[in-house]
Amino acid sequence: MMQNNYATPQAGSSMDNSDKQVLAKMVDSASAFHKVVAQPQTSVSIKDVTVSFKTPTGIYTAVKSIDLDIRKGEIVALIGHSGCGKSTLMNTISGMVKPSSGEVIANGKRVTGPGPDRGIVFQNYSLLPWLSVYRNIYEAVDSVMKDMCSAEKKDHVEQNLKMVHLYEHKDKLPGQLSGGMKQRVAIARAFAINPSILLLDEPFGALDALTKSNMHVELLKLWNLDNRNKTIIMVTHDIEEAIFLADRVVVMNNGPAATIKEIVDVPLERPRNKKEIVHDPLYMETHDKLLSLLLDKFSIEDEVE
Amino acid sequence: MPVLYFVGSILLLLGIWTLIAWGNRNPEATDLVERYPLPTPLMTLDVLSEIFANPFQNDPDVKGIGTKLIGSLMRVGIGFGLGSLIAIPLGLLLGSSKFMMSLINPIVQILRPVSPLAWYPLGLAVFSAAGGGDGLMNPSSKAAIFMIFICSLWPTLINTAFGVASIPQDHKNVGKAFGFSVWKYIIRILLPYSLPHIVTGLKLSIGVAWMVIVAGEMLSGGDGLGFFVWEEGFNAGKTTHIIVAILIIGIVGFILDKFFSSLQKAFSYDAK
Ligand SMILES: Nc1ncnc2c1ncn2[C@@H]1O[C@H](COP(=O)(O)OP(=O)(O)OP(=O)(O)O)[C@@H](O)[C@H]1O
Ligand SMILES: [Mg+2]
Repeated sequence: MMQNNYATPQAGSSMDNSDKQVLAKMVDSASAFHKVVAQPQTSVSIKDVTVSFKTPTGIYTAVKSIDLDIRKGEIVALIGHSGCGKSTLMNTISGMVKPSSGEVIANGKRVTGPGPDRGIVFQNYSLLPWLSVYRNIYEAVDSVMKDMCSAEKKDHVEQNLKMVHLYEHKDKLPGQLSGGMKQRVAIARAFAINPSILLLDEPFGALDALTKSNMHVELLKLWNLDNRNKTIIMVTHDIEEAIFLADRVVVMNNGPAATIKEIVDVPLERPRNKKEIVHDPLYMETHDKLLSLLLDKFSIEDEVE
Repeated sequence: MPVLYFVGSILLLLGIWTLIAWGNRNPEATDLVERYPLPTPLMTLDVLSEIFANPFQNDPDVKGIGTKLIGSLMRVGIGFGLGSLIAIPLGLLLGSSKFMMSLINPIVQILRPVSPLAWYPLGLAVFSAAGGGDGLMNPSSKAAIFMIFICSLWPTLINTAFGVASIPQDHKNVGKAFGFSVWKYIIRILLPYSLPHIVTGLKLSIGVAWMVIVAGEMLSGGDGLGFFVWEEGFNAGKTTHIIVAILIIGIVGFILDKFFSSLQKAFSYDAK
């Protein structure tokens, strides 16, 4: 497998690199140019984003002053309690929600609306109920992959259906699918348009443990296939999943006006082996850290009860 | 089972009808027609053979009941067809543009409550001035078509606009997130979602149109069922003919409604 040194982001490397870059600039321009190339590009940059909703009972601020830079090729997991604003934050990246203040830059451009450079798996799947499983994916591919001929498109859709093991169900309507199957269609649809940024809002939440594991592997396969150039941002409630997949885990505070509580690096080498990493002391350390970040508020409430 | 209910329902209707006819009878009269101002079902059955003797006769003076039915259906078809042709695209536009909705809605709100019959004299005045024609195309028939056209606009227009305006944000987001072109958005999201609403509108419209045509043809004369009721029923003193016409109008209306109901079923994606 081809490995680029910048395509396997290491914990904390961005800090070092930017320091080096500044240094290099001061020393000589030729080496600065070299460093800029090797420097991981920023894929998504969330700048001081606040999102407030108008509600009948007044203005509700869901997330407040969020700053987050995500490198190209990085996998970032967002965790936090239900209702803290994870989907809201994701939606500012996808362009479904406009920040009340601040801005999001994706692929070098300010996000003003959704676009096919950011593939989305919606938390509620959002399949078109009148289109078959096949057509749901085909229409997306047809819109985005403009230079494919129709036979290639068909092939591409079928390949993606096989990846999520839904080829036999391709002619069913979404109403005839189970929750997990719908979720897999949504995943196949987002993967099929080959976006440079994948936004996954609890993409595996409705799946059983085995299917979930398979999907983790498929996700990483896809990521590897593209030389780890795809940026993946996912919301999850599952700490094990976050550690297995992500380079960094962003833990959010509870709302209203949720902020980032802490960003935890996952210091595990890739490729990660699901069975083996659980015995890795680094894994256990990260797991404990995330768990206590999520639980410390609960334990107080428990005592009160 | 549904057939049994249907038969039961018909028997109930015949029973009530007989009771009322009997209650209304004039015991002194010797002549059957005079004895029953409201004819009984049996008396009505008797005239059927007369009315249906030559249904598609189409001479200048004498027209069969079938010819009249076809005349009414043609007027409804043309008026409803033209109305739908305007109402559906306009409804799609109103539903997708707040600006157009705000601009056009007051017009709709003012014109919609007007009884369709009020449009008849207006149509007649305009079409008479424009000159005559034959059969369907004579001014009074055109005025009836115009009336049908107007009254079948509103339910379709309003339902279509409502359908489009209520497309869930989720579906719109799919279009945006996956870069659908405007055309693809229209044929893959907007139309499939609003189709059931459009068909509901059409169903309501055809119902109104079929009700209104009878009244319209009483005014317009000519070769329609409405005129049959008035001229050959009331003016000729043949109450049985009025009843037969009412039954025919009812049955045809029922069939039209069933037809659009089946369309409704065919176009609703969640019923499958
Ligand atoms: N359109 C909206 N209008 C008003 N309030 C909203 C809207 N969308 C989200 N909120 C509020 O913002 C907060 C965050 O919601 P969000 O969906 O982002 O939570 P979440 O972290 O994704 O939760 P979960 O894990 O349950 O999916 C919630 O309190 C929610 O009520
Ligand atoms: Mg959510």
